[in-house]
Amino acid sequence: MRWATAKRLFLLAVLVAVTLAAMRCTVPERTGLTSPGSKFRDVLAPVQSGLTWLGRQGRYIISLPVSMVGAAARSQALEQEVKRLESEKIQFNEYLIENQRLAALLDYKNVMAGNYNFVIASVIGRDPGNWFGTITLNRGSGEGIKENMSVLTPEGLVGRVIAVSASTCEVLLITDPRSGVGSLVQDTRAPGIVEGVAGAAGIARMIHIPNNALVEAGQAVVTSGQGSLFPKGIPVGRINNVQNEPSGLFLSAELSPFADLYNLEEVMIVTFVQPGTNGLHAGG
Amino acid sequence: MQFILYPLLLGVIIILQSTVLENVAIAGIKPDLVMLVVVFGSFFRGTRTGAFLGFTGGIVEDLFSGNYIGLNALAKMAAGYLAGAAGGRLYRENIPIATVVTFFTSLAGLMANYLLLLYLNITIDPLHALFSVALPVAAYTALLVPFVFRSIFRYIQVLSREL
Repeated sequence: MRWATAKRLFLLAVLVAVTLAAMRCTVPERTGLTSPGSKFRDVLAPVQSGLTWLGRQGRYIISLPVSMVGAAARSQALEQEVKRLESEKIQFNEYLIENQRLAALLDYKNVMAGNYNFVIASVIGRDPGNWFGTITLNRGSGEGIKENMSVLTPEGLVGRVIAVSASTCEVLLITDPRSGVGSLVQDTRAPGIVEGVAGAAGIARMIHIPNNALVEAGQAVVTSGQGSLFPKGIPVGRINNVQNEPSGLFLSAELSPFADLYNLEEVMIVTFVQPGTNGLHAGG
Repeated sequence: MQFILYPLLLGVIIILQSTVLENVAIAGIKPDLVMLVVVFGSFFRGTRTGAFLGFTGGIVEDLFSGNYIGLNALAKMAAGYLAGAAGGRLYRENIPIATVVTFFTSLAGLMANYLLLLYLNITIDPLHALFSVALPVAAYTALLVPFVFRSIFRYIQVLSREL
Protein backbone atom coordinates (compact mmCIF):
# COMPACT_ATOMS: atom_id res chain seq x y z
CA MET A 1 0.00 0.00 0.00
CA ARG A 2 1.39 3.35 -0.90
CA TRP A 3 1.91 6.04 1.74
CA ALA A 4 -0.69 8.38 0.23
CA THR A 5 -3.35 5.76 0.29
CA ALA A 6 -2.63 4.91 3.90
CA LYS A 7 -2.86 8.60 4.84
CA ARG A 8 -6.29 8.87 3.14
CA LEU A 9 -7.50 5.78 4.93
CA PHE A 10 -6.32 7.18 8.26
CA LEU A 11 -8.11 10.51 7.68
CA LEU A 12 -11.26 8.64 6.71
CA ALA A 13 -11.08 6.59 9.88
CA VAL A 14 -10.59 9.75 11.96
CA LEU A 15 -13.55 11.39 10.20
CA VAL A 16 -15.71 8.36 10.79
CA ALA A 17 -14.66 8.19 14.43
CA VAL A 18 -15.31 11.90 15.02
CA THR A 19 -18.64 11.63 13.30
CA LEU A 20 -19.53 8.59 15.38
CA ALA A 21 -18.55 10.44 18.52
CA ALA A 22 -20.54 13.48 17.45
CA MET A 23 -23.49 11.23 16.83
CA ARG A 24 -23.16 9.85 20.35
CA CYS A 25 -23.07 13.35 21.81
CA THR A 26 -26.12 14.60 19.96
CA VAL A 27 -28.63 11.85 20.66
CA PRO A 28 -32.12 13.52 20.46
CA GLU A 29 -33.41 12.05 23.73
CA ARG A 30 -31.20 14.36 25.65
CA THR A 31 -33.04 17.41 26.91
CA GLY A 32 -30.39 20.06 26.56
CA LEU A 33 -28.27 20.86 23.62
CA THR A 34 -24.60 20.26 23.91
CA SER A 35 -22.57 23.28 24.57
CA PRO A 36 -20.96 23.56 21.09
CA GLY A 37 -24.26 22.73 19.42
CA SER A 38 -26.19 25.35 21.35
CA LYS A 39 -23.62 28.01 20.67
CA PHE A 40 -23.60 27.11 17.03
CA ARG A 41 -27.39 27.30 16.91
CA ASP A 42 -27.45 30.63 18.74
CA VAL A 43 -25.03 32.10 16.26
CA LEU A 44 -26.94 30.75 13.33
CA ALA A 45 -30.39 31.67 14.64
CA PRO A 46 -30.57 35.24 13.30
CA VAL A 47 -29.15 34.16 9.99
CA GLN A 48 -31.58 31.28 9.77
CA SER A 49 -34.42 33.54 10.73
CA GLY A 50 -33.44 36.10 8.08
CA LEU A 51 -33.04 33.47 5.42
CA THR A 52 -36.34 31.82 6.29
CA TRP A 53 -38.10 35.19 6.06
CA LEU A 54 -36.42 35.91 2.74
CA GLY A 55 -37.37 32.47 1.46
CA ARG A 56 -40.98 32.95 2.42
CA GLN A 57 -41.11 36.39 0.83
CA GLY A 58 -39.57 35.00 -2.32
CA ARG A 59 -42.03 32.14 -2.46
CA TYR A 60 -44.88 34.54 -1.80
CA ILE A 61 -43.76 36.89 -4.59
CA ILE A 62 -43.31 34.05 -7.03
CA SER A 63 -46.51 32.27 -6.15
CA LEU A 64 -48.64 35.42 -5.89
CA PRO A 65 -49.58 35.68 -9.57
CA VAL A 66 -50.33 31.95 -9.59
CA SER A 67 -52.49 32.17 -6.46
CA MET A 68 -54.32 35.23 -7.83
CA VAL A 69 -55.67 33.13 -10.67
CA GLY A 70 -58.18 31.37 -8.41
CA ALA A 71 -58.44 34.05 -5.68
CA ALA A 72 -61.57 35.74 -6.96
CA ALA A 73 -63.40 32.44 -7.29
CA ARG A 74 -62.22 31.34 -3.83
CA SER A 75 -63.23 34.65 -2.30
CA GLN A 76 -66.66 34.40 -3.90
CA ALA A 77 -67.04 30.82 -2.66
CA LEU A 78 -66.04 31.91 0.86
CA GLU A 79 -68.46 34.81 0.78
CA GLN A 80 -71.25 32.45 -0.23
CA GLU A 81 -70.21 30.07 2.53
CA VAL A 82 -70.32 32.91 5.09
CA LYS A 83 -73.77 33.93 3.86
CA ARG A 84 -74.97 30.33 4.03
CA LEU A 85 -73.63 29.97 7.56
CA GLU A 86 -75.20 33.27 8.62
CA SER A 87 -78.52 32.14 7.20
CA GLU A 88 -78.19 28.80 9.01
CA LYS A 89 -77.43 30.64 12.23
CA ILE A 90 -80.58 32.75 11.86
CA GLN A 91 -82.56 29.59 11.12
CA PHE A 92 -81.15 27.88 14.23
CA ASN A 93 -82.05 30.92 16.32
CA GLU A 94 -85.56 30.75 14.86
CA TYR A 95 -85.81 27.08 15.84
CA LEU A 96 -84.57 27.96 19.31
CA ILE A 97 -87.19 30.69 19.78
CA GLU A 98 -89.92 28.44 18.34
CA ASN A 99 -88.82 25.68 20.69
CA GLN A 100 -89.09 28.04 23.67
CA ARG A 101 -92.58 29.15 22.59
CA LEU A 102 -93.78 25.59 22.07
CA ALA A 103 -92.28 24.51 25.41
CA ALA A 104 -94.27 27.30 27.12
CA LEU A 105 -97.45 26.16 25.37
CA LEU A 106 -96.79 22.54 26.32
CA ASP A 107 -96.16 23.55 29.91
CA TYR A 108 -99.43 25.45 30.01
CA LYS A 109 -101.24 22.59 28.29
CA ASN A 110 -99.94 20.11 30.88
CA VAL A 111 -100.91 22.38 33.78
CA MET A 112 -104.42 22.87 32.40
CA ALA A 113 -104.88 19.32 31.14
CA GLY A 114 -107.34 18.52 33.92
CA ASN A 115 -109.68 21.34 32.96
CA TYR A 116 -109.42 21.78 29.22
CA ASN A 117 -108.62 19.89 26.06
CA PHE A 118 -106.53 21.92 23.66
CA VAL A 119 -105.47 21.76 20.05
CA ILE A 120 -102.37 23.79 19.27
CA ALA A 121 -102.57 25.76 16.02
CA SER A 122 -100.32 28.10 14.05
CA VAL A 123 -101.40 31.47 12.67
CA ILE A 124 -101.19 31.35 8.87
CA GLY A 125 -102.89 34.60 7.91
CA ARG A 126 -104.57 37.78 9.07
CA ASP A 127 -107.30 40.06 7.83
CA PRO A 128 -105.75 42.08 5.00
CA GLY A 129 -107.45 45.29 6.17
CA ASN A 130 -107.00 47.42 9.27
CA TRP A 131 -110.59 47.67 10.50
CA PHE A 132 -111.22 44.10 11.55
CA GLY A 133 -109.13 41.79 13.71
CA THR A 134 -109.27 38.22 12.47
CA ILE A 135 -106.62 35.54 12.10
CA THR A 136 -106.59 32.31 10.15
CA LEU A 137 -105.30 29.15 11.87
CA ASN A 138 -104.04 25.92 10.32
CA ARG A 139 -106.62 23.70 12.06
CA GLY A 140 -110.10 22.96 10.79
CA SER A 141 -113.06 20.64 11.08
CA GLY A 142 -110.73 17.72 10.31
CA GLU A 143 -109.12 18.25 13.72
CA GLY A 144 -112.45 18.65 15.50
CA ILE A 145 -112.55 22.44 15.46
CA LYS A 146 -116.02 23.97 15.65
CA GLU A 147 -117.46 27.47 15.63
CA ASN A 148 -117.41 29.43 18.90
CA MET A 149 -114.52 27.49 20.42
CA SER A 150 -112.30 29.73 22.54
CA VAL A 151 -108.75 30.50 21.46
CA LEU A 152 -106.05 31.26 24.04
CA THR A 153 -102.35 31.74 24.60
CA PRO A 154 -100.70 31.10 27.97
CA GLU A 155 -100.94 34.87 28.55
CA GLY A 156 -104.69 35.16 28.01
CA LEU A 157 -107.74 35.15 25.77
CA VAL A 158 -107.24 35.64 22.02
CA GLY A 159 -110.77 35.27 20.64
CA ARG A 160 -113.20 32.69 19.33
CA VAL A 161 -113.57 30.62 16.19
CA ILE A 162 -116.13 32.13 13.81
CA ALA A 163 -115.71 30.08 10.64
CA VAL A 164 -114.31 26.62 9.98
CA SER A 165 -113.20 24.87 6.79
CA ALA A 166 -111.76 21.38 6.46
CA SER A 167 -108.20 22.43 7.27
CA THR A 168 -108.39 26.04 8.51
CA CYS A 169 -110.46 28.18 10.82
CA GLU A 170 -110.98 31.91 11.24
CA VAL A 171 -110.73 33.48 14.68
CA LEU A 172 -112.37 36.75 15.72
CA LEU A 173 -109.88 38.55 17.98
CA ILE A 174 -111.14 40.27 21.12
CA THR A 175 -109.97 43.60 19.62
CA ASP A 176 -112.32 43.27 16.63
CA PRO A 177 -115.26 45.73 16.87
CA ARG A 178 -117.66 42.80 16.29
CA SER A 179 -116.37 40.91 19.34
CA GLY A 180 -118.08 40.86 22.74
CA VAL A 181 -116.88 38.93 25.80
CA GLY A 182 -118.79 38.70 29.07
CA SER A 183 -116.19 39.63 31.69
CA LEU A 184 -115.51 40.51 35.32
CA VAL A 185 -113.01 42.78 37.02
CA GLN A 186 -111.06 40.14 38.91
CA ASP A 187 -110.66 42.00 42.24
CA THR A 188 -114.11 43.52 42.63
CA ARG A 189 -116.14 41.04 40.53
CA ALA A 190 -117.73 44.02 38.73
CA PRO A 191 -119.32 42.71 35.53
CA GLY A 192 -119.13 44.19 32.05
CA ILE A 193 -118.69 43.36 28.39
CA VAL A 194 -115.30 43.55 26.70
CA GLU A 195 -115.65 44.71 23.11
CA GLY A 196 -113.07 45.48 20.47
CA VAL A 197 -112.27 49.00 19.33
CA ALA A 198 -110.78 48.43 15.88
CA GLY A 199 -108.70 45.53 14.58
CA ALA A 200 -105.52 47.52 14.21
CA ALA A 201 -105.93 49.54 17.41
CA GLY A 202 -104.80 46.61 19.59
CA ILE A 203 -106.94 47.65 22.55
CA ALA A 204 -110.38 46.71 23.84
CA ARG A 205 -113.04 48.43 25.94
CA MET A 206 -115.01 47.05 28.86
CA ILE A 207 -118.44 48.63 28.77
CA HIS A 208 -121.57 48.55 30.92
CA ILE A 209 -119.69 48.39 34.23
CA PRO A 210 -122.09 49.47 37.04
CA ASN A 211 -121.12 53.01 38.03
CA ASN A 212 -120.94 52.15 41.73
CA ALA A 213 -118.32 49.47 41.08
CA LEU A 214 -114.78 50.00 42.33
CA VAL A 215 -112.79 49.92 39.11
CA GLU A 216 -109.37 51.43 38.59
CA ALA A 217 -106.36 51.26 36.29
CA GLY A 218 -104.13 48.22 36.73
CA GLN A 219 -106.90 45.78 37.64
CA ALA A 220 -107.14 42.51 35.73
CA VAL A 221 -110.22 41.50 33.77
CA VAL A 222 -111.22 37.85 33.31
CA THR A 223 -114.04 36.12 31.46
CA SER A 224 -117.22 35.77 33.49
CA GLY A 225 -118.43 32.56 31.84
CA GLN A 226 -122.03 33.66 32.38
CA GLY A 227 -124.12 33.63 29.22
CA SER A 228 -120.86 33.70 27.34
CA LEU A 229 -119.22 31.43 24.80
CA PHE A 230 -115.97 31.61 26.75
CA PRO A 231 -115.05 29.43 29.76
CA LYS A 232 -114.98 31.24 33.09
CA GLY A 233 -111.84 32.81 34.52
CA ILE A 234 -109.67 33.23 31.42
CA PRO A 235 -107.49 36.37 31.70
CA VAL A 236 -108.58 38.99 29.17
CA GLY A 237 -106.61 42.15 29.84
CA ARG A 238 -105.52 44.87 32.24
CA ILE A 239 -107.42 48.14 32.70
CA ASN A 240 -105.61 51.26 31.44
CA ASN A 241 -108.16 53.91 32.35
CA VAL A 242 -111.79 54.28 33.43
CA GLN A 243 -114.40 56.72 32.10
CA ASN A 244 -118.09 57.46 32.56
CA GLU A 245 -120.29 56.30 29.72
CA PRO A 246 -122.28 59.12 28.06
CA SER A 247 -125.55 57.77 29.55
CA GLY A 248 -124.14 58.28 33.06
CA LEU A 249 -125.48 54.92 34.19
CA PHE A 250 -122.36 52.90 33.54
CA LEU A 251 -118.60 53.12 33.51
CA SER A 252 -116.37 52.00 30.68
CA ALA A 253 -112.70 51.05 30.82
CA GLU A 254 -110.03 50.82 28.17
CA LEU A 255 -107.89 47.72 28.53
CA SER A 256 -104.79 46.16 26.99
CA PRO A 257 -105.18 42.46 26.24
CA PHE A 258 -102.81 40.13 28.09
CA ALA A 259 -102.20 38.11 24.90
CA ASP A 260 -99.86 39.85 22.46
CA LEU A 261 -102.33 39.99 19.59
CA TYR A 262 -99.92 41.78 17.24
CA ASN A 263 -97.38 38.96 17.37
CA LEU A 264 -99.38 35.75 17.54
CA GLU A 265 -97.67 32.72 16.08
CA GLU A 266 -99.04 29.70 17.96
CA VAL A 267 -102.31 29.57 19.89
CA MET A 268 -104.45 26.97 21.66
CA ILE A 269 -108.01 26.18 20.67
CA VAL A 270 -110.11 24.94 23.60
CA THR A 271 -111.96 21.91 22.24
CA PHE A 272 -113.44 20.73 25.56
CA VAL A 273 -114.03 22.29 28.97
CA GLN A 274 -114.55 20.13 32.07
CA PRO A 275 -117.84 21.08 33.74
CA GLY A 276 -117.27 23.23 36.80
CA THR A 277 -113.90 24.53 35.60
CA ASN A 278 -113.22 27.86 37.21
CA GLY A 279 -110.45 30.33 37.01
CA LEU A 280 -106.94 30.84 35.74
CA HIS A 281 -104.51 33.35 37.12
CA ALA A 282 -104.78 36.68 35.34
CA GLY A 283 -101.62 38.07 33.91
CA GLY A 284 -100.35 34.86 32.34
CA MET B 1 -103.50 41.78 -21.16
CA GLN B 2 -104.38 44.23 -18.36
CA PHE B 3 -107.58 42.28 -17.69
CA ILE B 4 -105.40 39.40 -16.58
CA LEU B 5 -102.57 41.41 -15.03
CA TYR B 6 -104.66 43.64 -12.78
CA PRO B 7 -106.60 40.90 -10.93
CA LEU B 8 -103.39 38.86 -10.74
CA LEU B 9 -101.55 41.83 -9.23
CA LEU B 10 -104.41 42.37 -6.78
CA GLY B 11 -104.37 38.69 -5.78
CA VAL B 12 -100.64 38.78 -5.07
CA ILE B 13 -100.99 42.04 -3.12
CA ILE B 14 -103.85 40.75 -0.97
CA ILE B 15 -101.96 37.56 -0.12
CA LEU B 16 -98.92 39.67 0.79
CA GLN B 17 -101.11 41.96 2.85
CA SER B 18 -102.54 39.08 4.90
CA THR B 19 -99.21 37.36 5.50
CA VAL B 20 -95.89 39.13 5.00
CA LEU B 21 -97.09 42.65 5.69
CA GLU B 22 -97.74 41.74 9.33
CA ASN B 23 -93.98 41.93 9.75
CA VAL B 24 -93.85 45.59 8.74
CA ALA B 25 -96.91 46.60 10.75
CA ILE B 26 -96.21 49.52 13.10
CA ALA B 27 -98.31 49.31 16.27
CA GLY B 28 -100.68 47.00 14.41
CA ILE B 29 -101.06 49.35 11.43
CA LYS B 30 -100.11 48.02 8.02
CA PRO B 31 -100.16 49.93 4.74
CA ASP B 32 -103.10 49.39 2.40
CA LEU B 33 -101.37 48.18 -0.76
CA VAL B 34 -104.61 47.64 -2.68
CA MET B 35 -105.51 51.27 -1.96
CA LEU B 36 -102.05 52.32 -3.16
CA VAL B 37 -102.49 50.53 -6.50
CA VAL B 38 -106.04 51.86 -6.90
CA VAL B 39 -105.06 55.44 -6.11
CA PHE B 40 -102.06 55.31 -8.44
CA GLY B 41 -103.98 53.76 -11.30
CA SER B 42 -106.78 56.28 -10.87
CA PHE B 43 -104.41 59.25 -10.56
CA PHE B 44 -103.02 58.51 -14.00
CA ARG B 45 -106.17 57.28 -15.72
CA GLY B 46 -108.96 59.63 -14.64
CA THR B 47 -112.20 59.41 -12.69
CA ARG B 48 -114.04 56.79 -14.70
CA THR B 49 -111.23 54.28 -14.83
CA GLY B 50 -110.37 55.21 -11.26
CA ALA B 51 -113.81 54.29 -9.99
CA PHE B 52 -113.64 51.04 -11.96
CA LEU B 53 -110.18 50.16 -10.62
CA GLY B 54 -111.29 50.99 -7.09
CA PHE B 55 -114.41 48.90 -7.32
CA THR B 56 -112.56 45.92 -8.83
CA GLY B 57 -109.73 46.14 -6.30
CA GLY B 58 -112.19 46.37 -3.42
CA ILE B 59 -114.37 43.52 -4.60
CA VAL B 60 -111.36 41.19 -4.96
CA GLU B 61 -110.40 42.12 -1.39
CA ASP B 62 -113.96 41.48 -0.18
CA LEU B 63 -114.12 38.12 -1.93
CA PHE B 64 -110.83 37.18 -0.32
CA SER B 65 -112.11 37.87 3.19
CA GLY B 66 -115.49 36.32 2.31
CA ASN B 67 -117.75 38.66 4.26
CA TYR B 68 -119.29 42.12 3.84
CA ILE B 69 -118.83 41.82 0.09
CA GLY B 70 -119.00 45.32 -1.33
CA LEU B 71 -117.63 47.10 1.74
CA ASN B 72 -114.15 47.63 0.36
CA ALA B 73 -115.45 47.83 -3.21
CA LEU B 74 -117.48 50.97 -2.46
CA ALA B 75 -114.87 52.57 -0.24
CA LYS B 76 -112.09 52.05 -2.78
CA MET B 77 -114.32 53.14 -5.62
CA ALA B 78 -114.74 56.48 -3.83
CA ALA B 79 -110.98 56.72 -3.30
CA GLY B 80 -110.35 55.82 -6.96
CA TYR B 81 -112.79 58.42 -8.22
CA LEU B 82 -111.23 61.15 -6.06
CA ALA B 83 -107.72 60.19 -7.11
CA GLY B 84 -108.82 60.29 -10.76
CA ALA B 85 -110.32 63.74 -10.25
CA ALA B 86 -107.09 64.93 -8.60
CA GLY B 87 -105.02 63.48 -11.44
CA GLY B 88 -106.97 65.55 -13.97
CA ARG B 89 -106.11 68.78 -12.18
CA LEU B 90 -102.57 68.23 -10.92
CA TYR B 91 -99.17 67.55 -12.42
CA ARG B 92 -98.93 63.78 -12.34
CA GLU B 93 -95.26 62.98 -12.74
CA ASN B 94 -94.20 64.40 -9.41
CA ILE B 95 -93.53 62.25 -6.36
CA PRO B 96 -94.50 64.78 -3.61
CA ILE B 97 -97.81 65.51 -5.39
CA ALA B 98 -98.52 61.78 -5.77
CA THR B 99 -97.69 61.28 -2.07
CA VAL B 100 -100.07 64.01 -0.92
CA VAL B 101 -102.84 62.80 -3.25
CA THR B 102 -102.36 59.22 -1.98
CA PHE B 103 -102.64 60.41 1.63
CA PHE B 104 -105.84 62.40 1.16
CA THR B 105 -107.61 59.99 -1.19
CA SER B 106 -106.69 57.01 1.05
CA LEU B 107 -108.01 58.94 4.04
CA ALA B 108 -111.25 59.66 2.15
CA GLY B 109 -111.55 55.97 1.18
CA LEU B 110 -110.94 54.86 4.77
CA MET B 111 -113.52 57.29 6.10
CA ALA B 112 -115.99 55.97 3.49
CA ASN B 113 -115.14 52.54 4.85
CA TYR B 114 -115.92 53.75 8.37
CA LEU B 115 -119.32 55.13 7.30
CA LEU B 116 -120.14 51.83 5.62
CA LEU B 117 -119.22 50.00 8.84
CA LEU B 118 -121.72 52.19 10.69
CA TYR B 119 -124.26 51.28 8.03
CA LEU B 120 -123.53 47.62 8.85
CA ASN B 121 -124.13 48.36 12.57
CA ILE B 122 -120.47 47.89 13.40
CA THR B 123 -119.87 50.70 15.83
CA ILE B 124 -116.38 52.10 16.15
CA ASP B 125 -115.62 55.16 18.22
CA PRO B 126 -115.12 58.00 15.66
CA LEU B 127 -111.96 59.26 17.38
CA HIS B 128 -110.45 55.77 17.37
CA ALA B 129 -111.54 55.31 13.75
CA LEU B 130 -109.80 58.53 12.74
CA PHE B 131 -106.70 58.51 14.93
CA SER B 132 -106.08 54.78 15.44
CA VAL B 133 -106.91 53.56 11.96
CA ALA B 134 -107.69 56.05 9.15
CA LEU B 135 -104.92 58.64 9.66
CA PRO B 136 -102.11 56.14 10.43
CA VAL B 137 -103.07 53.84 7.54
CA ALA B 138 -103.32 56.76 5.09
CA ALA B 139 -99.96 58.11 6.27
CA TYR B 140 -98.22 54.72 6.09
CA THR B 141 -99.66 54.06 2.61
CA ALA B 142 -98.61 57.51 1.39
CA LEU B 143 -95.10 57.01 2.77
CA LEU B 144 -94.62 54.09 0.39
CA VAL B 145 -95.24 56.29 -2.67
CA PRO B 146 -91.64 57.54 -3.08
CA PHE B 147 -90.42 53.92 -3.08
CA VAL B 148 -92.86 52.55 -5.64
CA PHE B 149 -93.65 55.61 -7.78
CA ARG B 150 -91.20 54.81 -10.60
CA SER B 151 -92.18 51.13 -10.90
CA ILE B 152 -95.93 51.78 -10.90
CA PHE B 153 -95.53 54.75 -13.24
CA ARG B 154 -93.68 52.49 -15.72
CA TYR B 155 -96.35 49.78 -15.37
CA ILE B 156 -99.10 52.30 -16.08
CA GLN B 157 -97.22 53.59 -19.15
CA VAL B 158 -97.03 50.02 -20.46
CA LEU B 159 -100.76 49.61 -19.92
CA SER B 160 -101.49 52.91 -21.70
CA ARG B 161 -99.39 51.83 -24.67
CA GLU B 162 -101.37 48.59 -24.88
CA LEU B 163 -104.62 50.53 -24.93
